[in-house]
Amino acid sequence: MMTMPVRILVVDDEQHIRNSLAAWFREEGYEVGVAASGRDALAAIARDGTHILLVDIKMPGMDGLELQRKVHELAPDATIIIMTAYASVETAVQALKEGAYDYIVKPFDPEAVSRLVRKAAERYALLAENRALRERIASASPALITGGSPAMTKVIELVEQVAPTDTSVLITGESGTGKELVARLIHARSNRRFGPFVVENCGALAEGLLESELFGHERGAFTGAVGRHRGKVEMANEGTLFLDEIGDVPARVQVDLLRVLQEHEFKRVGGNETIKVDFRLVTATHRDLEAEVASGRFRDDFYFRINVFQIPLPPLRERPGDISALAEHFLTKFSTQMNRRISGFSPDAMAALVGYPWPGNVRELANAIERAVVLCHGEKIEAGHFPFVAPPGSSDHSLATIEEAHIRQVLAACSHNVAQAARELDIDRVTLYNKMKKFGIERP
Amino acid sequence: MNVRLLGLGEVPPKLAEAVLAGLPRSFAGGEIGRLPVALENCYDRTRAQVDASCLIERIPDPEPGWSALGLTGVDLFMPALTYVFGISHLGGRRGIVSWFRLRAEEETAEAQARFTRRITTEVVHELGHGMGLVHCVVPDCAMHRSLWPEGVDLKRPEYCPACLATLASL
Repeated sequence: MMTMPVRILVVDDEQHIRNSLAAWFREEGYEVGVAASGRDALAAIARDGTHILLVDIKMPGMDGLELQRKVHELAPDATIIIMTAYASVETAVQALKEGAYDYIVKPFDPEAVSRLVRKAAERYALLAENRALRERIASASPALITGGSPAMTKVIELVEQVAPTDTSVLITGESGTGKELVARLIHARSNRRFGPFVVENCGALAEGLLESELFGHERGAFTGAVGRHRGKVEMANEGTLFLDEIGDVPARVQVDLLRVLQEHEFKRVGGNETIKVDFRLVTATHRDLEAEVASGRFRDDFYFRINVFQIPLPPLRERPGDISALAEHFLTKFSTQMNRRISGFSPDAMAALVGYPWPGNVRELANAIERAVVLCHGEKIEAGHFPFVAPPGSSDHSLATIEEAHIRQVLAACSHNVAQAARELDIDRVTLYNKMKKFGIERP
Repeated sequence: MNVRLLGLGEVPPKLAEAVLAGLPRSFAGGEIGRLPVALENCYDRTRAQVDASCLIERIPDPEPGWSALGLTGVDLFMPALTYVFGISHLGGRRGIVSWFRLRAEEETAEAQARFTRRITTEVVHELGHGMGLVHCVVPDCAMHRSLWPEGVDLKRPEYCPACLATLASL
């Protein structure tokens, strides 16, 4: 269903042609304007907007092709139908190559022109619907629950400042502080919000795999490369590429990323084709990258390229005033998800939440509230529902608690070498990273 | 609204009378007349057709409460279009209809009746435009667009309730 009348602009230097067509389309119920030249047409588009243009290809001054190019810049969604005489069909074909919707030869068969414009009107309706849906999606962008602390208010201000630009952003902060959420917010507030938001966790993959994940590969590039694979860099074209744990990227891959950031082109692993890309880079790390650069573990040229604008996220323990608001938010979220009627927290429970140091930050807080909602069978969450508050004389024997404790123990025994710990636990590295993320365990 | 049917060129009297008699009751009444126009002044030798946008300008503005509609047997075109059954000035209470492309295929009485009905339906259509109606999506409404004679047969020489409501509000 169309939400507004379709506006047609007939552009022809012959008055009787444009007037007769205008009369014809007005009878169809369209809003119709006329223009005698390309210049008049551009003025009409700027003044009234236009959805469909019927453009004569041969006009003195600005011809139909030139007008079409200008309309593409001024009103990219406008549908252009080229009108031509038999003698200029070749030019009309050229117009099609440059993006015209269709062409029609004068004089028109009434049925043909009626059908063509109806199809163009349907296209306009689809574009309008598509745009409305995209705007609805954009307006439903991720919300950053701040609790109103000055530190997080400053973060929001920084996001609002940098989002509309194409500047590379480095988000720093401890694990669980919400770095990916901030990256998503930057994307949602940017001019690239209708493009893709592509995420890669650089800490979860070995060097060779990371290279393939980022840049893709051609068939036969290496053992197991059974087909062509598009990498995250290619997938992020016209959107935002978010590289989490950028501090874990090996030096060789840093060089490759630096090149694509400077040249805006790359080649797939094992490929010869140069692929152009246009993306905005947002990175995140829990590491002190300046220290990593000083120690030679991170390339200084790459660091300067990604650290154009830095957004530091404060740990939860430095903004205890946010804890109650965050806890209420997660309680509403999880009790709704699980269809539980829990009205709030007991005074002891809230005191326990505010008093806990939250080494795993917001992610750990969310996990703690989710677990409490599962365990709670009363109206309020009690302190005993939290894993970090052990009831006197008893211990928590839940599988999740035992699993978390075991992972922490093995990691500590392996000096937090994730690869070694994964082997000890007989799981792969990605699974271990996911579990560490789930339990809010970070490497020192 | 009263209707003045004006013959442009030769019009069989019985045909004009049948068309006037077939108009819907929403029209108060009507009369039949003849307008002496030089059709050759609007004739295009290259296309061997008469320019409808030229011909309609020959029809004088009707007085308040009247619509004027020219009836002709010549083949009509508009400068951008290969042919038209008729045209009108939207809201201007002037229009023309040609029966050239609405002719019956056979000489039977049934075909002749169908032919008269086609002309009447297109007259109602152009009168509707003249009163300000645009095309209607209801398939059997006289204001539905028809681009070939068989398409006219699918309509009735009457306005649908939605178009009647629009007319009442104009």
